[in-house]
Amino acid sequence: MDPFSLLSLPRRPFLDDEAIGSAYRRLAGALHPDQAGGDAAAFRELGEASAILCDPSRRLRELSGSLAGNQLPPQAADFFLKVASILHRSDSLTTQAATASTPLSKALLIAPLKNLASDLQETLAQLREWHSSLDRELHQLDRAWPESDPAALNLLADSFAYAGRWESQLRERELALEALLS
Amino acid sequence: MIAGIDLGTTNSLIGVYESGFPTLLADEEGKRLIPSVVHYGPTILVGQEARRMQSIHPNLTISSVKRLIGRRFGDEGTEGLTGTPGIPVTLPLDGGLLTPEEISSEILKKLKAIAEARLGTEVTRAVITVPAYFNDAQRAATRKAGELAGFTVERIVSEPTAAALAYGLDRLQESAKIAVYDLGGGTFDLSILQLDNGVFQVLSTHGDTQLGGDDLDQAIAALISSLASLPALSISDEIRLREGARSAKELLSTEEQTTIRLPFLESGRSLEITLTRSEVEKVCDPIIRRTRMHCLRALEDAGIKSSDLDQVILVGGSTRMPLVQQLVAEIFGKEPNLSQHPDEAVALGAVLQGAILEGNLQNVALLDITPLSLGIETFGGLMNVIIPRNTTIPAKAGEMFTNAVAGQSGMKISVLQGERELAADNWTLGSFEIPFPPAAKGVARVGVQFSIDADGILQVLARDTGTGAEKIVEIKSAVEVSDEAVEAMLAGSLEHAFEDMDARIFTEARLKAEEMLPAVESALEQLAAELPADEAKLIRHQAKEVTAALQGKETIRLKKALTNLDNATQTLATRLIEKAMKTSS
Repeated sequence: MDPFSLLSLPRRPFLDDEAIGSAYRRLAGALHPDQAGGDAAAFRELGEASAILCDPSRRLRELSGSLAGNQLPPQAADFFLKVASILHRSDSLTTQAATASTPLSKALLIAPLKNLASDLQETLAQLREWHSSLDRELHQLDRAWPESDPAALNLLADSFAYAGRWESQLRERELALEALLS
Repeated sequence: MIAGIDLGTTNSLIGVYESGFPTLLADEEGKRLIPSVVHYGPTILVGQEARRMQSIHPNLTISSVKRLIGRRFGDEGTEGLTGTPGIPVTLPLDGGLLTPEEISSEILKKLKAIAEARLGTEVTRAVITVPAYFNDAQRAATRKAGELAGFTVERIVSEPTAAALAYGLDRLQESAKIAVYDLGGGTFDLSILQLDNGVFQVLSTHGDTQLGGDDLDQAIAALISSLASLPALSISDEIRLREGARSAKELLSTEEQTTIRLPFLESGRSLEITLTRSEVEKVCDPIIRRTRMHCLRALEDAGIKSSDLDQVILVGGSTRMPLVQQLVAEIFGKEPNLSQHPDEAVALGAVLQGAILEGNLQNVALLDITPLSLGIETFGGLMNVIIPRNTTIPAKAGEMFTNAVAGQSGMKISVLQGERELAADNWTLGSFEIPFPPAAKGVARVGVQFSIDADGILQVLARDTGTGAEKIVEIKSAVEVSDEAVEAMLAGSLEHAFEDMDARIFTEARLKAEEMLPAVESALEQLAAELPADEAKLIRHQAKEVTAALQGKETIRLKKALTNLDNATQTLATRLIEKAMKTSS
């Protein structure tokens, strides 16, 4: 299955989200099994293709032909411990907050929760900055395409995978903290 | 003909597609809204008649049974019921134990009778709506209720999705992003959709199946109780108070104040109390505010900002409250769209989904999603997601697993639904054992394939291929999948089986490292004064080794480093406890 040709989109590093979405809806609307002439198997395959193209990491691996992410990009290594420690702090404070039953114990948690929230926002801002730099690299690779270096594609794919996952994990914690502090 | 049914917590409706229009059907009294209340007297009563019996025979009358459907004792929402935790909920009624689906089926039978009386023909096929955030067990139980009522259930459709269909029917040429905020009697959902030339694509959904108008009624009842200094009430009085609270809530949507009169309570006194809208809003605010987080998460999952939304559609009876409308405006930064009938939009959407299935409504397609991730428990008690949440359905995905231990002669497959990393924190939908002859590590191979149909109901298929002897084990009503399909899936994933296993073990070790490293750091900090320098140095060295192994992504080195760190920090733990004891004494 070639996800690009399934969705009739150009086979290249950068694709616009809206373009993928509208190509998907045009085809999926007709293939949905509820429709006369629908085809459940083709519908599922189209869904998988769209999921690959919407995720820059999977899209780049599709182009490079390499499946697994084997490298820890240098910048990801920098973030690794920072993110891990914030996730850990956040989960343990959230658990404490959920079990804190007296006003005093809740009050005691506010200062550490606020500290955590500000550390989290700082790391999240750095992650977003990194993510934007990855987007710029993606555009560069796209301009050079198809002369792009496969190793660069793979490294960028891995970077996107880490950045995306950590960003959503931190964002999830940020929302949970916001709920606790409001 | 396919009927569309909104099986609500408080009220239910039925409709059909007639001469090109969705029409809701009324009972003999001309009412379309049928209270979801069942009374088990000499005869079974449903609807308004049952509601009248509720305060007289509270033990024989059931309302809001939807909050219990598909639940097990011990789940949230089952507080106050007696039963063995983990066992599906049953209620003692009618001289025996009844399941929520049996009780719901009485409501559906009533709706069926209304439709048949009105149309003069048998109605045997139905589309039934459920909250978007219902899990697999709740959806399956709702389907069962439909079958018990004599319906062939053609589709289980999510309520906000149905409401979006009702909203979008007049706007088929448009392209727009909308949010549907659905706050009903017992459940809350927020779904985000992209409408695009007749295609309704659900992008994300979040919700709470235990949050709705019932909770507001309860909070208002508690407010009345405390304002009037009521003593502990009998069950009948409790129900009358709850009804008083509900009607006060409804009146205060348009009035600034209202008086509640409950004469001749069983406790001997009569109650008369005046409530203002602001008093009631004060107790309702924290409950309604709980919807905010779900809205933000749904936006996050859809990858959009609230400013990208063209409309925020309100449905569900509770959205009549001015406070709800204000809060929605605050959350999304725009005035909500009130064009849809709060009680009827979902049922109309169910009718439209029926019309799509029958081919009566062409060029309209509904692309719904699964609200919760699906996966299995893997080695180490972790959730291994196979189909992530917000995946468009129907969908199918598979993965290959191998035995982790030499000589192992079987693999237990626990099917999970939920978003938590630890398997134990998610819902277990079912589990089964795949036996195979004792095999060396990594030799036995079990392919697990998940398939979600258009109803969002899951079928799981597992097959052992390690010995060449194939065996299919199914949970629920798994359909046969062609051997070729399974072969293709296996061929695709076999080569990655070992890498997968290694990755899982690394992940497990990584999780442990993520827990250990900050803990070690904080312990060292707290004990800086009393810890001998050489001991601290050793621990720092071991911690560095863990960090290095993490960065190098070396599984074996990481496991070894963690064990060393474990050993080196044992005295740290003892010292910490001693210190804590000293400080507190």
